Amino acid sequence: MTAAAETAALALDAAVLAGEWINTNAEAGIARIVCTSHPDGTMRVRCSGRTAGGEIEDWSEVDAPLYSFTFESRQAGAFSAVFDLGYEEVRMQANVKAGVLVVASFNRFKDDSGRSNYFDREFFHRISKG
Amino acid sequence: MGEPQQSRRSVEHLPMAVPPPRIEAEVMDGRWYKTSDKPQWIERLELDTVDDVTYVHIFGGASPSPADWGRVRIQWPYASASNTSSAKAGGFVAQYDFDEMSVEVQANYNLGLLVVATFVTFKQPGALSDRFTREFFFRA
Repeated sequence: MTAAAETAALALDAAVLAGEWINTNAEAGIARIVCTSHPDGTMRVRCSGRTAGGEIEDWSEVDAPLYSFTFESRQAGAFSAVFDLGYEEVRMQANVKAGVLVVASFNRFKDDSGRSNYFDREFFHRISKG
Repeated sequence: MGEPQQSRRSVEHLPMAVPPPRIEAEVMDGRWYKTSDKPQWIERLELDTVDDVTYVHIFGGASPSPADWGRVRIQWPYASASNTSSAKAGGFVAQYDFDEMSVEVQANYNLGLLVVATFVTFKQPGALSDRFTREFFFRA
């Protein structure tokens, strides 16, 4: 078995996470999350944020390490992701509970705008599976 | 010949850095105990703020959680509201690095509870999976 195949064999199953997720609150800061799992066992996440003016902003796609809910499980239930928007860093903590993607975000401003870093929590439902 | 001088007007139009309000991280200070009677990843934790720097000290519970994770400086406190002018702490992020695993701690403070999530990442693939935990703590 090649190293890549071995890594894939040890990877977590991302089935409950993969797909397109829409925020349950139409006015929230993150509008949409798309989780794409790959054959090598990795997952990438693309986010669409919503600006204060209501415009949709593409945060681009980043690697999202997968995590299970127990050390023995091979089923992923959570992921982390970090988005660097230039003026702001968003550390995302996401896990699926009862079919809902619960997303906590730790938002840190890197500009000199005087805005406070803040914590937020949002909920998403899946509209298509990956 | 001296240094070229900027006009007063040009200085007035330079963008001025506005410091963000100080986040009152000390509202999270204290000893926090798990709400569940069952064994869990984190047994208890302590937060203390000294000279505007906040530290977290975590004590582990169920294996393979180390018994004493040690005391580390939190990376950043976060406000509890997204109105971007709030000064009341609502969470923090901290990093631990052990021989076999690294752990990112992401906690939020809400309604008297500290909700502590961890992302446990093993440095070498093995029998145990990388794990996400989310546990609840009350302040003694």
